[in-house]
Amino acid sequence: MRLTVNGEQRDLHSPPLTSLLAALREELDITSPKAGCHQGGCGACTVLVEGEARRSCLLPLAAVDGATITTLEGLGAADDLSPVQAAFDEHYAAQCGFCTSGFIMAATALIDRTPKANREEILAGLSGHVCRCTGYIKIVSAVEAAVGSPA
Amino acid sequence: MKAVGARLPRYDGVAHVTGQTQYVDDIRVRGTLWTKALRSPHPNAAIKRLDTSKAEALAGVHAVVTHKDVPRNVYGHLEALGIPADEPLLAVDEVRYKGQPIAAVAAIDEDTARDAVDLIEIEYEERPAFFDIRKAMDPDWPNIHQWGPVYPHFGSYNHRRVRKGDIEAAFEQADTIVEGVYRPQAIEHCPIEPQTALVVPEANGRLTIYSCTQAMYFSMGVVAAHLQWPLNKLKFVGGTVGGGFGGKVDTASETISALLALKAKRPVKWRWTREEEFLVSSTRAPWHMELADAVTSDGWILGRRMTTLHDAGAYARFSPYGVTKHAFHHTGAYTIPNVHFDGFVVFSNRVPTTAMRGFGVTSVSFAVETHMNRIAEVLGIDPLQLRLKNANRIGDTTPNRVVLKDPSTVPVVLAAADRVGYDLPDEYKSMTNERRTGDLLPEHLVAQLGGPEPASNGGGR
Repeated sequence: MRLTVNGEQRDLHSPPLTSLLAALREELDITSPKAGCHQGGCGACTVLVEGEARRSCLLPLAAVDGATITTLEGLGAADDLSPVQAAFDEHYAAQCGFCTSGFIMAATALIDRTPKANREEILAGLSGHVCRCTGYIKIVSAVEAAVGSPA
Repeated sequence: MKAVGARLPRYDGVAHVTGQTQYVDDIRVRGTLWTKALRSPHPNAAIKRLDTSKAEALAGVHAVVTHKDVPRNVYGHLEALGIPADEPLLAVDEVRYKGQPIAAVAAIDEDTARDAVDLIEIEYEERPAFFDIRKAMDPDWPNIHQWGPVYPHFGSYNHRRVRKGDIEAAFEQADTIVEGVYRPQAIEHCPIEPQTALVVPEANGRLTIYSCTQAMYFSMGVVAAHLQWPLNKLKFVGGTVGGGFGGKVDTASETISALLALKAKRPVKWRWTREEEFLVSSTRAPWHMELADAVTSDGWILGRRMTTLHDAGAYARFSPYGVTKHAFHHTGAYTIPNVHFDGFVVFSNRVPTTAMRGFGVTSVSFAVETHMNRIAEVLGIDPLQLRLKNANRIGDTTPNRVVLKDPSTVPVVLAAADRVGYDLPDEYKSMTNERRTGDLLPEHLVAQLGGPEPASNGGGR
C-alpha cells in the first residue's frame, strides 16, 4: 500500500487491517499521533486524511490506501510554527502534551474548513478530544487566537 | 523573583506543539518485545492451579513470568518509612482484586502476547467479595488481608489517632451538636497516556528503564527491591509524563517488564490498554467521614469528634500515609481547640487506591467545608462570618500541635468575598490573621494560646 505522508510518498508493508495509527507509529516511526485509547474515544491519534481530521486508531490501512496524510510533524517545524502551533505554545494550551497533537490537528482542519470559526464552532470542532491537565479554556483560547491570526 | 507575574514560555512548549516530545511509547529500540498480563477476572478468589507451559510453547513467545520468577515477590511502596510489605508483585495462591496480575508474557507482538495469555491454564475458587467499608467492623467481615480488616501499624494502634484538649468538656458546654456524614467516591485519574514501561537489558549487565512514573526514586527502589539488585545496576530514564495526577506514583509496569526483559534477554515494552487503565490502575480512594461538632449558639466550634474510614482496596500501598495527612487536616482552615479523631485504613476487594491531587486532604476539605455550611444553616449564621470567626490565626495550633506562623484563612476568605461582591459587616471586613484578642479570644481559646502541648505522634491519648 502507498500513502503520501507529510508530502513524502511512502510504501507500507504492514498487513491491510493494521490501523493507520500503528502503521504510522510502528512502521514509519512517526510518533506524534498518540495511542490513548485505541477505540476512538480520546482523540490523541487524530491526523488529517485528505485534509479532514480522522481518528487514525480506527482507520484500517486498507481504507486509506493512496490517501494523503498529514501529521503534526508535517505542520511547522520549531523555527516555523503554523498559526495553530504558535497559538498553543503562546497560550499555554499544552501542559503534559500527550493530547496536544490531536487537538492541533483537529483545530487545523477546523480553521481550514471554517476560517472565521466562532467560539461555538470551535467547541464543536474540538468535541471528542479529551485533555486531563490543561483544561479546555486555554485550548479554546489558543484556537480563537489562531483564528484571528493571519495564516 | 523576576518570574513572578511574568509570562514565561514553557521550556517544553515548542517540543509539545511540534510533536518532538518523546514519551515512553515513542522510544524505539530494535528487537523490542511486547507484554500482556494474565489478570484476575475475580475480585476475591483462591488460585488452585496455574500452568504456563502451553503459553511458553507458543511460537513468538520469549518469556513468561509468574511469582516464582520474582527474587522478592512481596514488597511495600513505603517500606522505607516503616510501613511493612504486604503486596505480591505477581499473585501466588490468591487474588484480592479484579485485574490483579498473576503472570505476564513477552512476545514478538501484542497479538501473540495476548494469544499466549489465553493459553495459560488457571483454576480459581471464587470467594465472596467485600466492598462496603462501613461493614468492616462487623463480626462477619472476612479477613481479606493478612493483617485483618484494617491496617494495624499506626504505632501500637490500628488507626491514626489525634487527641487534643478536653473533648468531653467541649460537648458538655455546647449549645448544639451538629452532625454530618460525607462520602466522596473513587476517581480514576485517567491520564491520556496509559501506563507504559520500556526495559532494555544492556551489555554491561545493567537495565535501562524508560518509565512514565511520577515518582522516579520510588520506582527505582521498588524495582531494586523486587529484583534484589543494587541501585547502581538500574538506569532510570523518565521525567516526561503524559498526565499523572497521582495515578503514576504507584510502580505499576516497570518491575514486571524488567523481569521479562531479564528472562527473555531482550528489550520489553508494556503499554497498558485503556481498559487496563480504568479497571486496574489505582484510583483515588472512596472515603467515609463522620463528623460531630460541639458548637455554641453564637458560632464558636468548641470541639470535633471525627471518624474516618479510608478504602485502601486490597493492599496498603500509600494509604496509611494518606490517612495521616488527612488526620492532620481534619479541622481544615479553622481552629478547634478540642478534637478527637480516629482514622482507619480499611481493606476491601477493590483495586488498591492511591494519591490524587492533595492526597488525603481533598476528602477532608470537602467534608469540613460542607460541614461549615451545615453548622451555619443550623445556627442561622452567615457561612462566611462563621468561617472568619473560627479561622486560623497567628499563634493558633493545629490538631497535631503545629503553631501557626502565617495562616491565610482570613485574607483568602475576604478576598474571595470581595471578588464575588459578598457583603460582610465592617467588623469582619477589617479582620486580619493577627493574633487573637478581645471578642475573638473567648475563654475556650485562651488555654491553647499558651503554646504547644507535648508533641504527639498520634499514638498517644
